[in-house]
Amino acid sequence: MTTMATPTQPKPIKPAAHAPAPVYNPKSESAGGKRAKSVIFHILALTLTGVVLYPALWMIASSFKPNSEIGGANTSLWSENFSFDNFVTAMDGIGGVSTLQFFTNSLVLAIGAVVGTILSASVSAYAFARIKFPGRSVLFGMMIATLLLPFHVVIIPQYIVFQQLGLVDTYIPLLIGKFLAADAFFVFLMVQFMRNLPAELDEAARIDGAGHVRIFTSIMLPLMRPALISTSIFSFIWSWNDFLGPLLYLNTPEKYPLPLALRLFVDQTQSSDYGAMIAMSVLALLPVLIFFLVFQRYIVEGVSTQGLKG
Amino acid sequence: MINRRNFLTTVALGTASAAVLAACGQPAPAQTGSASNPVTINYTWWGNDDRAERTRKAIALFESKNPDIKVNGNFTDFAGYWQKRATEAAGGGLPDVMQWDLSYLRDYGQRNQLLDLGTVKINTDAFDKSLLPSGQIRGKTYGIPTSTNAFAVYYDPAKLASLGIAEPDGTWTYKEYNAFLAEVGAKSNGALFGGTDYTGIWWMFNIWLRQNNIEAFTEDGKLGFSKDDLKKWWNQTAALRGTPAIVSEERVTQLAPKSPFGSNVSATESTWDNFMAAYLGDSGAKELKLVPVPSDDKDNLGLFLKPSMLMVASAKTKYKDAAARFIDFMVNDPEVGQIFKTSRGVPASKTQRDGTTFEGTDKLVVDYEKSIEKYLKDAPEPPIVGFGTLETSFKRISSDLNFGKVTVDGAADAWFKEAEDLIKQNS
Repeated sequence: MTTMATPTQPKPIKPAAHAPAPVYNPKSESAGGKRAKSVIFHILALTLTGVVLYPALWMIASSFKPNSEIGGANTSLWSENFSFDNFVTAMDGIGGVSTLQFFTNSLVLAIGAVVGTILSASVSAYAFARIKFPGRSVLFGMMIATLLLPFHVVIIPQYIVFQQLGLVDTYIPLLIGKFLAADAFFVFLMVQFMRNLPAELDEAARIDGAGHVRIFTSIMLPLMRPALISTSIFSFIWSWNDFLGPLLYLNTPEKYPLPLALRLFVDQTQSSDYGAMIAMSVLALLPVLIFFLVFQRYIVEGVSTQGLKG
Repeated sequence: MINRRNFLTTVALGTASAAVLAACGQPAPAQTGSASNPVTINYTWWGNDDRAERTRKAIALFESKNPDIKVNGNFTDFAGYWQKRATEAAGGGLPDVMQWDLSYLRDYGQRNQLLDLGTVKINTDAFDKSLLPSGQIRGKTYGIPTSTNAFAVYYDPAKLASLGIAEPDGTWTYKEYNAFLAEVGAKSNGALFGGTDYTGIWWMFNIWLRQNNIEAFTEDGKLGFSKDDLKKWWNQTAALRGTPAIVSEERVTQLAPKSPFGSNVSATESTWDNFMAAYLGDSGAKELKLVPVPSDDKDNLGLFLKPSMLMVASAKTKYKDAAARFIDFMVNDPEVGQIFKTSRGVPASKTQRDGTTFEGTDKLVVDYEKSIEKYLKDAPEPPIVGFGTLETSFKRISSDLNFGKVTVDGAADAWFKEAEDLIKQNS
């Protein structure tokens, strides 16, 4: 940031060319000090950004290199043999399944997860935050308790249930939980958000004759936009990156999402095509990045207004 | 607060509904199929795009020859493959036929997850008798090898020529091999290392033990060698560590996941002969050659053929007959050999091997296995349960040794402690 002159500050006197000796001016020195600090701050910040972003840069640079120049003894970031071959290989698909198919599968799963989570978590959160019913605190406690249950503990029992139901190799095991508000974290997030909304709003609505459905759809949902958006972002990214769930429940390669497909390029027991894998990683990163860029301003907007715009 | 009665009711309800759901499984299908009403078996394998293409071709061929069976093929990568199998085994849903790795055979076989293939019809007449025991545990055949690997020393002839070093002829003692590694390091002024520290490779150690007529594991699953044997082995390259003869551990770590040999940092590497295609791809070298491992006893090289992969069937498969026919086809059919060439390893069945034409790289590997035929001894039994852990700790401890973090004595003590604990745990 450059120094800004506020109206109360006198304008610094320009040193005249004919004035040989510099006049002592505390104001200009402090401005210089500020500038030095700001320069140091920016250099530090940029260095840190560089360090943090280097892996991404490495990935993008490597996606344009031939396979034999990736990793190993090659330390240079850019290659002389710049080419788009890796992207061509990546888009060719694997074992007769096109890469577009993997993208579509990932999108179906991610959008399904977002829709399911938004629908189910917001309704459950409304019940927990606004309706008094017997056993509410017990159920709420149990829901929180599921947060403490590691995923790996339930893998096998869950697998047995879906296997006996004949639902393995469908998207149902991966999506049903989202539509049944099984993601306790999101329910909790929304409950906390709703508790902060003034109760007077729904009391006023009730006096006007609104029922729960009306209060929920006309008052709560619009006010909850920030919470809904951060939930969407997180559930989209989690679903997009999920590896273990699809690995266990999907058998047919035609149904695989991207994270499974990515692994098929690298096989330590045969030859590994790192180039194609990295190119596909770059491609796989784009949707998440776009999703985040589109929605991130809503988070900031939402947090700063805190739903009191009403 | 969670009230106890509520909790119990919930649990009871949940269990009851699960039982009801479980009861509505699929009706039992017919055991055999016909052309108009074929049975479908699931087959799963690990591997890359290339293997997927080849397997698809093989499946299509099988289906055209056996119109009463449909094969539903699925694949994942190697690491994911075993995570998935573990879950399926627990859930009782293993696919009918699976590509298998030797190191998991005992584990799944002993837990009765795999079908005893001795009870079904699979033709093994064309198999080398020294190879079949590697798919057997306590007299039961759980796996049929599709193909074989043998251990070899790889070298890059172009690199040796540029240094003015003669190519090895494949009959060398450990002393000569060490001198060779040192020569590469010295003549290249450190630009090229001789090779990775071969004492850090479990299979090299295993082969050395065989050369000295020591079994790595006894029949009851204990260690067959002593701490002194291990110390003697690790001392083989003591003088070379830290010199250009051997790739330093720092460098190995920097290069991962590629190997030093694949990254053109070293002139030789000892490993399985099926790495040829991977090394050629990684290094971009025009030509790589294979020679046998060193031995101090020139008549006993300790070499053996190891199944590079096996075919197994699930113990719970409903279509034993169809599964057996598919396995038989995959391991014996000459046309399948033509499809896979050496991408699974050298075909194990003689019928399949003779029916396949090998060219270029494939020929190199097949010729190598032919050249060592007279030295081959029985393949070892399937490794003990937890062998993967032992191999990993062998690698880790010997890399500490190479880093100079431990002495040979300390390293041997550390490995023996881990190995004995593990064996006690699994017995």
